[in-house]
Amino acid sequence: MTNSPQITSTSPISGVKSRVLRHKGMMIGSTIVVLVVLIAILAPLIAPHDPYHQDLLNRLKPPVWDSRGTWEHIFGTDHLGRDYLSRLIYGSRISLLIGIGAALISGIIGTFLGVMAGYFGGRVDMVVTFLITVRLSMPVVLVALAVVAIVGGSLQVVIGVLGLLLWDRFAVVMRSSTLQIRSMDYVTAARAVGCSTTRILMTEVMPNVVNNLIVIATLEIAHAIILEAALSFLGLGVQPPLPSWGLMVSEGKDMMLFEPWLITIPGVALFALVLSVNLLGDGMRDVTAPENRN
Amino acid sequence: MISYALKRSILAILVALTVSMISFSLLYISSDPAIAMAGETASDADIEAIRELYGFDRPIVVQYWEWLKKAASGDLGKSYYFRTDVSHLIAERLPTTMTLGLCAIIFAIGLAVPLGVASAIRPNSIIDRVSLFLSVMGQALPSFWFALILIVLFSVNLRWLPVSGSDTWQHFIMPTIVLGYYAAPAIMRLTRTGMLEVLSTDYIRTARAKGLRPPVVLFKHALRNAIIPVVSLAAVQFGFMLGGSIVVETIFALHGAGFLAWESITRNDLPTVQGLILAFSLFYIILTLIADLINAWLDPRIRIG
Amino acid sequence: MKNKKFVFSLIGALAATMMYSSAYADKSNDTLNIAIDRELESIDAYYNTAREGIVISRLIWDGLLYRDPVTNEYLPNLATSYEWIDSKTIQFNLRSDVNFHNGEKFDADDVVFTMNYLADPANGTKPARNSNWWSNAEKLGDYKVQLNLKAEFPAALEFLSGPIVMYPNEYYGEVGPEGMALNPVGTGPYMVTSVEPGKRYKFSKYAGYHSGSPKGKASIGKIVIRTIAESNTQLAELFSGGIDWIWKVKPDAAQRIQAQGNFTVKNSSTMRIGYLNFDSSGRNGENPMNDVRVRKAIAHSIDREGIVQALVQGESIVVNSLCFPTQFGCTQDVTKYDYNPEKAKELLAEAGYPNGFETPFLAYRNRDYAEAMINNLNAVGITTKFTYLKYAAFRDKVQDGGSPFNFGTWGSYSINDVSAITSHFQSGGKDDYSRDPEVMDNLKIGDTSVDSAVRKDAYKKALSRIADEVFMFPLWSYNTNYAFSQDLSFNPTPDEIPRFFTATWK
Repeated sequence: MTNSPQITSTSPISGVKSRVLRHKGMMIGSTIVVLVVLIAILAPLIAPHDPYHQDLLNRLKPPVWDSRGTWEHIFGTDHLGRDYLSRLIYGSRISLLIGIGAALISGIIGTFLGVMAGYFGGRVDMVVTFLITVRLSMPVVLVALAVVAIVGGSLQVVIGVLGLLLWDRFAVVMRSSTLQIRSMDYVTAARAVGCSTTRILMTEVMPNVVNNLIVIATLEIAHAIILEAALSFLGLGVQPPLPSWGLMVSEGKDMMLFEPWLITIPGVALFALVLSVNLLGDGMRDVTAPENRN
Repeated sequence: MISYALKRSILAILVALTVSMISFSLLYISSDPAIAMAGETASDADIEAIRELYGFDRPIVVQYWEWLKKAASGDLGKSYYFRTDVSHLIAERLPTTMTLGLCAIIFAIGLAVPLGVASAIRPNSIIDRVSLFLSVMGQALPSFWFALILIVLFSVNLRWLPVSGSDTWQHFIMPTIVLGYYAAPAIMRLTRTGMLEVLSTDYIRTARAKGLRPPVVLFKHALRNAIIPVVSLAAVQFGFMLGGSIVVETIFALHGAGFLAWESITRNDLPTVQGLILAFSLFYIILTLIADLINAWLDPRIRIG
Repeated sequence: MKNKKFVFSLIGALAATMMYSSAYADKSNDTLNIAIDRELESIDAYYNTAREGIVISRLIWDGLLYRDPVTNEYLPNLATSYEWIDSKTIQFNLRSDVNFHNGEKFDADDVVFTMNYLADPANGTKPARNSNWWSNAEKLGDYKVQLNLKAEFPAALEFLSGPIVMYPNEYYGEVGPEGMALNPVGTGPYMVTSVEPGKRYKFSKYAGYHSGSPKGKASIGKIVIRTIAESNTQLAELFSGGIDWIWKVKPDAAQRIQAQGNFTVKNSSTMRIGYLNFDSSGRNGENPMNDVRVRKAIAHSIDREGIVQALVQGESIVVNSLCFPTQFGCTQDVTKYDYNPEKAKELLAEAGYPNGFETPFLAYRNRDYAEAMINNLNAVGITTKFTYLKYAAFRDKVQDGGSPFNFGTWGSYSINDVSAITSHFQSGGKDDYSRDPEVMDNLKIGDTSVDSAVRKDAYKKALSRIADEVFMFPLWSYNTNYAFSQDLSFNPTPDEIPRFFTATWK
């Protein structure tokens, strides 16, 4: 008996789905990201203590695995006696919001500017290059300081400032990628056929620069979160007592040589988030453009 | 070619002007220059006297114009804090920052490009995983943490390297690593992505089919094309270093232009900040120009101008 | 053979990295390495305002008198004796055996030059208040001068025994502040051998220092002072032997270092106190702080003792009066406010805020203390919009009238007199948000009289009223931690001005 060939479904969606499930990196990445998002959403239910509750008599208690630690505070307490685990859990909200919010804003601005510059060239390119250079020459710190002095610090201000300051890498990379694409055959062909500019941008240019876009986006999410830590360190980021992983890292700096877990714990959390975002980004790129896989 | 040079020069001047205008306004809004100049302990009378003497009560546009005129002729004024010429201060401190930045970008490129290429040639192998790990470390590790860990390991425990200062070349080893690793991930990821794309294109397959030896294929054809966005990015990263060097310079007590910029901003030392920003913006302009020229040389299809 | 060569060159390279070993090691080189956390604007004593500048000026220069840090007596230094001719005139007899570091002889010309230079406001010396109380100095002989005051000034000797130091007239006349900033010359126990502005200063013992000086004879041969802004880097340098002495170590870190037992840790109180400032007079418009009941409520809601125990630590204490207890004119005999959150809530309800209110809150240092206080305020229903600024920005905002409620500190520049703090904040100046006529009048009397009894009485009245109305709320005194090599014998002084000329190797 001859075996009749199996005819599997050939719809695009199921193709993507099977590739996703087989891509190890993407699975790990998305699992962690989903986990962090869940923690952020369910924070009030899973945090053992109030993250704002100070206990000045119980400051700097080490985590449970240290000989002086207790199960009362699994990850110990910070310099004001607040439970570290609870702050870590609530901090996930802030860090996610900042990372995604800032990357979204800067991504939209930067991609728009970069693609316009790369595709149209000429005057448009000059204007965009001008904007990019101006933006690069402005120290982030100065703008943040001025904004905080005028408007005061808050979560929205931080996201806004970061979004308005982090678009340069998007713009630069999108511009050079688009420059390359512009002279490719399929683009010239589309133009010859008479497609509208918008159509060309959407269907020919974007899909081909989207790989780099994803790479930069994943980098910028991490960048925004880390930059928030630097800003907190300088007093310009999220205002206390709001917990953010970045603030926790910079608050732990003073005791770094003596109680390293103060930095290590939020640091590991940051690392996990950044790693998973990268894996997710890589996976998305691999999966949607199969010719780029091995 | 000449019209291109002209266009870029006009661009340069416009950028410098815009940036200095913005920063002047920002500083002006967020601080009172008379108080900054008079110092912490001055009485009201002292402050008023200074306000009149230096013309701080005039409209901001007039003050900016004064500064611009002087700057155009090379006089950047005197620092409110140090009472020495700003140009002198900058000339003193900029070389340290430039040296650091240059070493760091060379380190970053030297580390990141080979890793990116290697990961692209063997995706999902050990080397790919290691580079991914290093790249994530580079993004997620706050630079002050990395710097202090290096200090504890190499200076306090092993005593191989000095903790801080800028006297010898050994003093620059750890700062270079810290500043450079921060720029490396973006360069590595972009190189890897670019190489992956390029390696699977038609003309690469053709080159292989033609029998060209792999290294030739790799470098002459693949890397050349993949590297284009990377060059632009590297220029940006180098620029970042000048700003990002604040943390490194602070921790390693390097007293460069980055540290000066941060301290001057917090001290409301307007002339110094203005001078530094002018210097930095001119520098970026040159950097982006070089990057564009390199790109044009790599890929003639990218027409400049 | 090739491999051996390679290995040797590798070892050589490694050895080269180890050869960095600084030439500045400690006791064996008779060199004391010190780290400070900020850049000095200028090493010239009259053109910087940082405490480190004061410390350095004691090394390089001398004054006519010198205040003993322990007994607080005013001892003769460059002047052998002084005499009040009347309440506005002092005459000094000068030492005739003193030379400046560059060989110039010290005499009346130097004193007259220095005092007249400082008295001229066009020279812009800082801080102005140190020298704006005399009109001029006259030469009466090669070693005799007369100082003419503008008005009676009770703190005259305090200033002449501390911040006012003598400059060489020939040298300074020639090179001015720019020259002095690069190459300082004085009569003090240490001469400057190298200046890298803002980065590093090197000193060595001045062999020709006049004997019989109240500062004594310096023991340590060389001193190097470096600016290292990052506290962890300072600690790393201390641990690896690159630095021998640091100060302003944070309390938790100091505790740990002490526990490890490899370095000497000492704690000393300072004259700095923390305070809360309220907009009682409505300078920032109408706000809850206008109401004395609200201010009293806030006074009752802060757990000062708890914060001192847990966070400030060391030799700090709660203070109840807007001055440091040892300062002349300071009295703790004023209305006190105990930690009583229930009372606070009652007062708030009385004032019309049964559910509390929201207020802006400004600070520039000790963010953790601020957070602890915010926690206390939240407990009685007051929520805050907290802004943490750098000092310059903070000072600007406060002095512009833009801050109804802020947390600040004041060190009085180690001047042991109420006029250095209370009068600064409550005499109608830019930091004064209460502008109370009664307080201002009493402070004026205290500042200008030379009769001790009159001064004490006036200051007591002012301080009592400030406490009764809670125009400002005093919190606690500050302390400093010193950490240094066990080879060094060093004693901190209560005026927070470390004296390295009395330090010795063990």
